[in-house]
Amino acid sequence: MQINANSIANVNSLVGSGNLLYGIVGIVVYAIIVALMLSVFGYSFGWIERKIIARAQYRHGPTYVGKYGFLQNMADLVKLLSKREIALSKGDNFMVRVSVPLMLSLSVFIILLLPFSPWLQATNIGFGLLLIFVAIAFFPMLVFLTGFSTGNKFGDISAQRSVLMLLSYELPMIVVVITIALVTGSYNLQGIIAAQSSHWFVILMPIGFIVMFIAMLAEFERPPFDLREADSELIAGWLTDISAPYYALVLFLDYTRMFMGSLIIAILFLGGWMGPSFLPGIVWMIAKAVVVALFVIVVRATTFRMRIDRVLHLGWLVLIPLSLINLLITYIVLLWIA
Amino acid sequence: MAITRINIGPVHPSTHGVLRLVVDLDGDTIERVEPHVGFLHRGVEKLVETRMYMQSPPYMEKLDYIAPLSYDEAYVSAVEKALGVEVKERAQYARVILLELQRIASHLLAVGTMCNDLGQMFTVFMWAFKDRDMVLKLLEEAAGNRMFYVNMRLGGLLRELPPDFEMQTLDVIDYMERRIPEYERYIEGNPVFMERMKGVGVLSQKDARNLGVTGPVLRASGIEYDVRKNNPYYVYDKLHFSVKSLEKGDNFSRYRIRMMEMRESIRLIRDAFDKMPAAGDMLGMPVKLRSPAPVNKEVRVSRELPRGEALMHMVADQQKPYRLSIRSPSFINLAALPDIAKGYRLADLFSILGSLDLVMGCVDR
Amino acid sequence: MKIDRDQLTAQVERMIKNGYDYLVKITAVDYNDHVEAIYTLRNMDANKDDTLEVEMSSADLWVPSVMKYFKAADWYERELYEMFGIAIKGRAVDRLLLEKWDGENPPLRKDFVWGVQYKTKD
Repeated sequence: MQINANSIANVNSLVGSGNLLYGIVGIVVYAIIVALMLSVFGYSFGWIERKIIARAQYRHGPTYVGKYGFLQNMADLVKLLSKREIALSKGDNFMVRVSVPLMLSLSVFIILLLPFSPWLQATNIGFGLLLIFVAIAFFPMLVFLTGFSTGNKFGDISAQRSVLMLLSYELPMIVVVITIALVTGSYNLQGIIAAQSSHWFVILMPIGFIVMFIAMLAEFERPPFDLREADSELIAGWLTDISAPYYALVLFLDYTRMFMGSLIIAILFLGGWMGPSFLPGIVWMIAKAVVVALFVIVVRATTFRMRIDRVLHLGWLVLIPLSLINLLITYIVLLWIA
Repeated sequence: MAITRINIGPVHPSTHGVLRLVVDLDGDTIERVEPHVGFLHRGVEKLVETRMYMQSPPYMEKLDYIAPLSYDEAYVSAVEKALGVEVKERAQYARVILLELQRIASHLLAVGTMCNDLGQMFTVFMWAFKDRDMVLKLLEEAAGNRMFYVNMRLGGLLRELPPDFEMQTLDVIDYMERRIPEYERYIEGNPVFMERMKGVGVLSQKDARNLGVTGPVLRASGIEYDVRKNNPYYVYDKLHFSVKSLEKGDNFSRYRIRMMEMRESIRLIRDAFDKMPAAGDMLGMPVKLRSPAPVNKEVRVSRELPRGEALMHMVADQQKPYRLSIRSPSFINLAALPDIAKGYRLADLFSILGSLDLVMGCVDR
Repeated sequence: MKIDRDQLTAQVERMIKNGYDYLVKITAVDYNDHVEAIYTLRNMDANKDDTLEVEMSSADLWVPSVMKYFKAADWYERELYEMFGIAIKGRAVDRLLLEKWDGENPPLRKDFVWGVQYKTKD
């Protein structure tokens, strides 16, 4: 990734100086690298999750395909991809075909905006934080559209749940984001990481961290908030009528989204790429994300699914007040320091 | 809001077999549930009429494939009563031990699948499955088969319990005794579980009587009726155990009752081993072409299965049952579902279904 | 206790007053010339079971519904109708429970003809 480092760090200046072609090529190459990295980590998380959950359940998990069953998910993927697409007779096939790849590309887009080291970032725009959260809000919307357009009642219910959760979990998330912006004074991600050089934000605002973590779980359909594809209730919710190739993408998407969410939490609360200098920043960043992701997996192995009314109750009556309290406390702390 | 009608099943991850539920939803609230059963209807009651007495136990076991031994025993004791066969004393103790082991296995699976219905990622289910497997191994030691035992013979069992059976069983139930608090700590320590189970699916005592529910569902609603205590058979009246009941009648009570009953079963097994006479054998009559002539024309045998009370009503003929009517506990518990689930949310429907612990083979017969 | 089917509801009412408020099972036995419907009621507090046996000739099969006394009777009565062709008076049966058949050749009757394809209704 050294090759395009210089080119990427200064895309804005490159565009300004008229070397547009160079900038675009650089971004495309970087995007491909990011997509590959996302695939590798998404894939690995798929395996790690299967192994961890299997251990929690006195099982061995996949063992046959590849060393320690590492290639089991690949075999599953190939099997699913080799199946035919079943077109819906009632639903809107276009939306199904578009939304799942769109979600995958959205995760690549978000990761392009994330800084992996002081210079490793597609473009260091000033409002990166806001742009990320705008992009995140698209996921439930796409779930809603897909669920609604499959023309299936389970999909309908799943879509309704998706919107309800979007409404109740975006708000605390944005309040926490605003708090972070208040502390750092900018929406710039590099600025946010730089502001954590003395202490991570998880120490400054632990409540905000918890709120953000729970909201992220809800946003990315991780248990206990997997109500949208609640398998024991809605069969698979919005995925009920999605045929094999797209379903493979969705399974893959699950892990890429988890990795992406973990990266965002690592940046906002765990100091991003910062760490002792014997390792490069990107290693620290990914290590932090992996720790967060492992915690998410353990949560999945142990918890029960919440009910939609309790989820909304948690969102509106617990998380939003908590995020506001967090804002207040942080503001007071900041005033006190000043 | 308009009523949405959704169709759940017959093939659905959490209908415990082939059950179809037509649910009318007002938003997320259940207006009406209509269970459609009969997908597993095999006409066992008619089949039995065409078979000799001791040809039928394998059919009986397939009714309730989670607790096959209990049904087997219920049928065989109906035949014993009709033919006037006395069960040997040692065999009575052995039967009690095997039945209680079967009850533990069944309740473990009930708790495991119930957690699955609540959206647990198979963790409790797999734990329960592993522990159930230890019990099944014991039953395999005793009967020779892991799942369908066909172990009951007129007047006793197919064969003696193996010599080290007592030691092995005591080992397993010692392990179970340590394990059950672990389950409770894990399951009841989870706030999501508690808020989804407490106060959900409430069945009042009056409704429970009127709907005729049985077994753990009845006892969870505050009615302390257990055939083992109220109408003792075998040596249950000589053994120490208590019948538990809870007042609330919600999902959580139904789960608790099963946990408590497992403990009671462990007590029962220990006590049965203590009091089991050393002398005598437990072998039943071998299956012969001609069975003895019936002495009772019409018999009614009531047994406490893991899922509730089964009533075997048999009209005896010379070599075959003239009519066998089976009152299956799952059937009547499922019939109560529309009344229990009304007014709760869609997600609660599955936790209620899980807490009723249905086996569709037992419902459809 | 053998009783006439006209007195069934009155008898059930009387028994409920005596504490028999739990319906265990409704079933029937076909004795070729007549069919006997058997109601098992239970007094849980006194720990007693009692049966009501309703005899009727095979030509004229009906019993009054006891659903207004026991909700539990719902599925049992439907089963009775499907398995024996015993009509239940005083209630509507909108849907078949276990079987799919057209009202002929009820399976648990002794004159049941094996191997006849049912004409399905729904």
